[in-house]
Amino acid sequence: MNPGARLGGAALFVAAVAAAAALVHFAIVLLVPVVASHDAYARLAELGPPGATVALPRGAPGEKRFPWADPAIAASVCRFDLSAGPVRVKAPIGRAGFASISFHTRRGAVFYALTDRAAAHGWMEAVVVTPAQLRVLVAHDDEDNPTQDLRVPSPTVEGFVVMRAFSELPSLYEAASQQVQMMTCATEPPP
Amino acid sequence: MVFKAIAVGAIGLALGVAASGSILVDPPFGGVTIGAWRVAAKAGSIDADPYTRAALARSGEIPLALGEGLELVARVDSSGRALDRRCVYRVGSHTPAARYWTLSLTDAEGFPVDNAAGRYGFRSSEILRDGDGGFSVYVSEVVHSGNWLPIGHVDTFTLALRLYDTPLAATAGAGGIETSSVPTIVREGCA
Repeated sequence: MNPGARLGGAALFVAAVAAAAALVHFAIVLLVPVVASHDAYARLAELGPPGATVALPRGAPGEKRFPWADPAIAASVCRFDLSAGPVRVKAPIGRAGFASISFHTRRGAVFYALTDRAAAHGWMEAVVVTPAQLRVLVAHDDEDNPTQDLRVPSPTVEGFVVMRAFSELPSLYEAASQQVQMMTCATEPPP
Repeated sequence: MVFKAIAVGAIGLALGVAASGSILVDPPFGGVTIGAWRVAAKAGSIDADPYTRAALARSGEIPLALGEGLELVARVDSSGRALDRRCVYRVGSHTPAARYWTLSLTDAEGFPVDNAAGRYGFRSSEILRDGDGGFSVYVSEVVHSGNWLPIGHVDTFTLALRLYDTPLAATAGAGGIETSSVPTIVREGCA
């Protein structure tokens, strides 16, 4: 074998290794969200059943379930399952500070969010629906008496809603914690 | 030939797995760098890139929605050097526009670090300010006067700046976050 051919063989080998590595890498990146058994939804499922509002653990040393949690924020969560009907979410705004609710798919991605600026009469409120439920609801809407509901279509049948409240001072954390636990997620009759 | 094919497969697999492991802890794409800080442009949204989605599924993080606020993370100082627990850093003196902000310290995975002072972060609503409304937070292992954010018992740490209810987009420059608006992280000295 002449030196040129040997070099060509080595280059081919390196290229094949690189191609195999890239293939493995892309496969892993794309498969991780599908096969991840301990994603946010799975961790939340350990806290309580769908429909129940449960407090999220506060960001503190030794609390290893939900990374990047702000210690100044009190948060609660309810999981929803739209297969039995739309879910009405109501969350109270506080005396002061910032409060918000975010709507997440089964995989954790946000599909909608509301802050206390959008609250009416002291509450943030929305109805989570499937696209099919939304079509039925809209078809039955009374044109003379339009609905006041904010309808939020969810890309997935299951998902979760997170409420956050900011505590302006450490001594106000407890009040923020009580505030977020007043969120309700109630299943409504199918339209 | 068969041996070569097996070698290509084995080395490719090892390299592909190795490349995926580290990249999913700190995804390098889908974000922008502003000064010492990185912000994931679409961290929580449905159209996040596959790397961000995979990292989310693995970490269990519940991301902030764009409408709620922005999360900026620094793993380096303003000179680009990795944050070092043996050094003293001054973080200040202003932040991009937001209703509230918090600055907290976590380990590399985003969890608060145990420290004797029990201090994991500062809120904009509790911080001591200087005469012209600016602030300085001192990040160090040993006690520091003023706003002291202890590093605690950890080898590598990160700083997280959260902007709640901000009108800014998660992009750098005009319409987004100007480099001149983010806090600088200045290394003051090392033990």
